[in-house]
Order: sequence, then structure tokens, then C-alpha cells
Amino acid sequence: MVAEDSAQILRQQVRAWLQANVPVGWRQAMTNSEQAAFVQLQRQWFGKLSAAGYATPHWPSEWPGGGRSLADQKVIYEEVARADAPRLILFFVALYHAACTLLECGSDAQRQTYLPKILAGEIWCQGFSEPNAGSDLASLKTRAERRGDNYVINGQKTWSTMAQYADRCLLLARTSKAEVPQAGLTYLLVDMHAPGVTVRPIAQITGDDEFAEIFFDDVEVPIEERVGEEGEGWAVAQATLASERGLTLVELSHRMRYALPLIAAQMRDSGREQDAALRRDLGRLIARVDATCALADRYLLKRISGEEAAGDASVVKLYYATTLREFSLLGSRIAGLEGQYDRGFMRGATQETGNWPVDFINSFNWSIAGGSNEIQRNIIAERMLGMPREPRSWQMTAR
Amino acid sequence: MADDGALMLPEVNSDMNNDVRELQDSARQVLAGLGLAADEAASWPRIADLGWLMISTPEEMGGLGMGLAGACALQVELGRQLATVPFLPAVLAIEALAHGVLADNVQWLERLTAGEMYVAVPLADCALNVQRDSRGVLLLTGTLLAVPSADNASHVLLSTLHGEHVGLVATAQPGVTVIERATWDTTRRLFDLQFDAVELEEHHIVASGSQAQALAMRLGVQRDFLLAADAVGGAAALLQMTVDYLQARTQFGRPLALFQALKHRCADLKAQTEAAEALLLDSLGRQQMDSADGIACAELAGKAAKQLACAAFATVAEEALQLHGGIGMTSEHNCHLFLKRALLNEHLGRAPDSYETGIADAFLASCQPTCASIQTL
Repeated sequence: MVAEDSAQILRQQVRAWLQANVPVGWRQAMTNSEQAAFVQLQRQWFGKLSAAGYATPHWPSEWPGGGRSLADQKVIYEEVARADAPRLILFFVALYHAACTLLECGSDAQRQTYLPKILAGEIWCQGFSEPNAGSDLASLKTRAERRGDNYVINGQKTWSTMAQYADRCLLLARTSKAEVPQAGLTYLLVDMHAPGVTVRPIAQITGDDEFAEIFFDDVEVPIEERVGEEGEGWAVAQATLASERGLTLVELSHRMRYALPLIAAQMRDSGREQDAALRRDLGRLIARVDATCALADRYLLKRISGEEAAGDASVVKLYYATTLREFSLLGSRIAGLEGQYDRGFMRGATQETGNWPVDFINSFNWSIAGGSNEIQRNIIAERMLGMPREPRSWQMTAR
Repeated sequence: MADDGALMLPEVNSDMNNDVRELQDSARQVLAGLGLAADEAASWPRIADLGWLMISTPEEMGGLGMGLAGACALQVELGRQLATVPFLPAVLAIEALAHGVLADNVQWLERLTAGEMYVAVPLADCALNVQRDSRGVLLLTGTLLAVPSADNASHVLLSTLHGEHVGLVATAQPGVTVIERATWDTTRRLFDLQFDAVELEEHHIVASGSQAQALAMRLGVQRDFLLAADAVGGAAALLQMTVDYLQARTQFGRPLALFQALKHRCADLKAQTEAAEALLLDSLGRQQMDSADGIACAELAGKAAKQLACAAFATVAEEALQLHGGIGMTSEHNCHLFLKRALLNEHLGRAPDSYETGIADAFLASCQPTCASIQTL
């Protein structure tokens, strides 16, 4: 009962704070805006959130804003979703991936150097995926050669969110060619302003450019910037990938639920509110969205009680991604031809804007990034259902 | 595999969770011992002996007080084994009597929970016409649909049109005709009960007026949740059976379970099954039917849970038959028993499309997120 009361008090506090502080009209301001305006909004919103102690609830208690229980973090995320606050897209890698990696695997010196910088608004990006290493991340080829007290980096990374603004990069590079591809990887922190780093934004099919390619030409990285031991980068990368601990999907699922009125509004705008077939489809979608929230909530409860099982996270992500797709498809179907006219796009607006072709395209962010639906299905089949793994090797058979 | 499938209710105190979990674990063992689609006549006394019919009865009336959540936990297990026993309608009858105004309801409950008598309840939406004759006697006319195991029932629980009354009528009463309707699903035995000017005796009226309407609504909600639970159990068991088959069956020199095309389909089914279970538990954990608003919210949550679970079970069943291949088309294989139960489940309760449209109508009227999020509103 006591825990429940304190959660309720926190909820009221966060709610009141958000009511007073969420930038009014940010969605309109971000519609067809310049990216500079988006960056400015992100910086301002991060400044407000971190000053109020809501940007780092997942950090340990010795850090400002830290020391919140998972249950309290869930409350904060639910309220952020409810208030339709902007997502901290520009700072996500710094606050979650970088911070959690350093907290779990970094040295004291690295923590003391970088966590204050992150709190002060340093932007980080992730350098994992490569043109030829997507789902098969361990096959990556970017090299890190030891020369004296430095590693020298050569290679190319891609799909790096907001890399064009980043101060620092979480880099996974190959230091040796081992029998098992995972064994030859090393984890480094790279200064994005160092000589030899080139960033090229990638033009997306929505018109936005949220991610970029990074080219490394003889970039020198001091060995103190290595996280973990040489050759143990794969294990460190797992800490990075596990960093948001299911909270993102709680937030996103709840955002999807709060966005359901967009469908209702589209039915009204299109004069199809009484359409029985659409009502049936809407009812089905609402049940699915509710189930998505229930799944995400249950996953977090399992984490809190230490009952998480292999594959649980994959179920949540797969179900969220497929439901989000259905959401945008239903909106699109109701909007009809009118929905196909180009109205531009909204920067950093998550996936539910009512601009259906863009929402539809953005829904692929969740079925491709962070482990595609196909990878999640492999994990569910192999680790939850106990079906056999793919054979490791593959070769062409002669005809 | 690590998932033991026990119901874990969010937002409910952990003692209750542990009790439900223990009961569910023991139920799984007992039912596994009885076997798939075990004989109704042999299983029913066993279930009564184990006290399962007392699960949702309030403690002050001699029950276990584990409520709808407890009953759903058992129904998941009963669904898993395609149980033929009419546990679901029995729970509804007990619920009605516990909340009704029968003068001797304690005696009724004792006999019902002990399994000494069985009161049947229709599993489809239906109500009877009621008229008062010149002597002031209430006369019932019409048909009750989808009444399980009515041949074993001493009485049937019914509602009248427009919700004036909820009451009991003895199945042997003059004017009642009990007609067995063979269904494709052989794990249940459904009956139509035709009423031709049958007297509803005053002392058999369970509720009247607004109380009758509230009770009928409450029973509808419970029926939806229990059907959802049945589907959640059935879907989980059938998916497991299908995966086991794919592991065992070898073609092209390897187990079918190695083919990614099949693995991915099973993974999708797993996600749908998990989602249905999560929604059921989440809704059960939140439902509070102690006020009109609470019942209205629970009704919406129950509709969503039932729709999603029965759709998931039907999808798993459809895929299971395909994945089993030819063997699934043979009557000696159990695959078809699940399929037929899944198909029937979608059509029990309210009319199928009315679930979806009911959820949408409520949403469009309020344009608020659904009641499931009421805590965060």
C-alpha cells in the first residue's frame, strides 16, 4: 500500500510538472520545420527535463535525477506519454546506451569523465551497424588497429541516429579475426570531432534525415577510451542494447493508446464515423493496442520481480511493431485519397501524427531497427519455443 | 519453455497471486491426469471434490473468495485440456446466486458448490419474453440458446427481455423442452431450451428491475472473461502441441522445426497467445465491479479480452491444422478437437462482430483511451 501511495504521489508530481512544462504547440512547430529548429527544441526540452530530475531516473542514486525504482520509472514514462511530450531523440543514445554501458562496463575514470558531460547535454551516437553487417552484427568489418597507445580506426558505420550532431560515438570495431566472429570485437568511445571522422546524413523516404553514415579514416582513439578488455566488445555491446530495459516500449505502447483519437478524428473528418466495417476494424485495433500496453507492462513487472525469461522482450517488440503497422494502415485506409496528398512531415514526432503515409513509413523503424521482426521471431522460436537454431554454416550446393 | 503459464495478476496483492498460482499449478496436474477432453461424467465429481466450484464464491458464503481471477485461472487450465465439464456456466450460476435475493441462497450455494446440483446458464446472448397472466403469474416464452450440459441441470438461469428479471426455472418444469444440438465441437454439449408459457415462480426470482439489469450485465462480463480464459489456455496448449509435432516430424532429412518459414509462423502465434494472456490478466487485475461505472469499464475490458483471445485461439487453430499437415485431418489426431472448440468459442457470448463494434462505439462516444488505462487517467 505504501509503495502504491508513493507511486501515486510521484504520478501527480510528474503530471503537474509536465502540464506546466511541455512546450505548447511543439507538434505544429515541428511540422515542416528546419532541422535546426528540431535540434533547438530537443536541447531546450532536455534542459528542462534534466533540471527537473526527470531525464535520468534510470541512473544510480549518486547521480542527479537518479536512483528511481523501475516502478517509478514506469510512472514517469506513462506520464510522459500521456502528456504527449516530445521524445528525447537527440539524447537517447547518450542517456541510455552510453550511460548504461559506462555504468555497467566502464572504468571509474570513464564514468567521471563522461556522465557529467552527458548530463550537461553532450550528444552521443551509436556506431554498430555497417552496410554489410545489419542483423548479422558480429560480421562487422570496421578495423581498430593497435599502434602504440592508440587504436587506429578505419571503416564505415551506418544507420547511426543523429550522428550528424553527435559529440561522441559508441563504436564496435574488429581488433582481430577470430574463429568466432564475436570474439574479435572491441568497444571504443570515439570523439566525433577527431580528424578523419566524416558524417553524411542519409536522406530518408519521409524527407527527414534522422540517421547518418559515419566514415573513419585513420582515426586515432587513445586506449583509455576502450570499454572493457580488447576482444570483449561483444559482451559490452549487449549491455548497450539492454540499456533501456523495456521502458521504451512501455512509453511507446502508451503513446499509441493515447494516439487512438487520431483514428476517431480521421473517421469524423472523412465523414465515415458511422461506417460499421470501420468501427469493427477500430474495435479490433483498440483491443490490440490495449494488449500491447498490457504486454509491455507485464514485461516490466517481470523485470522488477526478476522473472524475465528469454524471449519476453522479443514478444513485446514484435507485437508492438506489428500493431503500430496496423494502426497506421487503418488510419491510411480511412483517410483515402485525401491522405495521399503530401503534407510534409513532423520532425521527431514519434510514429503517430495522423499524417498517415509518413506514420506508415515510420512504423518500419520499429520492425527493422533494434533487431528486425525476423530476428525477434528467430529469438522467440528458438529461445521460448525451443525450436532448433539455424545451422551455423551455409554453402552453395552444386547443381 | 521457462514460462510456466501461471496467471500472474498485476496490481493485485502478492498473497492472492500466490494462492491463485498454487491452485492453477495443482489444477494443471489434476487435469493432465484426467487427460484431454476427459469424460464429463467422470470429471465433474472430481472437480467438485477438489472444491473448484467454491473458488469464486465469497468467503462469507463459505467459498474461497478468489473471485473472477481465480475462476479464470482454473478456466485457463480447463481450456488447455479441452475440458468437457460445464465449469464456466456453473461459475456464472454461483455468481448470480451469490449476488441475488433468493431467500435460501446459502442453501443453493452449498449444493451448487458441492456439485450436488448443477444450474445451467446459456452461453449465448438470449432472453425470454415475460408476461403476467390474469392470475398475476409470470409466464416465460422463447428459446434459450447454447445451454451447456442442460440434460444434467436441475435448473437453468435466465434473463427476461429488457432485463426485468433474472430467475431460475427447473428444466423439468411443464412447458420446458430440452433439445440437444450437436455441435462440431464435441468437447461441449449444447442444448436449446424452448419455453412455452412456463411459470417463473416468485421464489425463484434472483433479481428484478435495475438489480436484474446490473446482474445480467455482470454475468455477461464474467462470461466474456471466462471464455477469454478458455481460449488463452486452448491456444497455449495447441501451440505447444504443434511445436512438439514440428520437432518430432522429419522431412528432407531434418525436423520440420528447423525450417525458418515454420519457426516464424510459430513465433507469431506465440506473440499473439502471449498478448491475449497479458490483456486478460491486465484486465482481470483492474476490474472492480462494485459500481455501475466499474461494471461498464469491466464490460469493455471483458469484450476486448474475449475478442482478442478467441481470435488468437482461432488463428492458432487454423495454423496448427496447416502445420500438422495430413495427420491433422484425421479424426484420431487431437488437432481437430482444438480447432472445433476454437471455432465455437468465437461464436459463444455476444454476436462476434458486436465485440469489436461495442469497443469502438464506446471509444467514439468518449474519445478517451479505453478503461484499461483508467488508473493513469
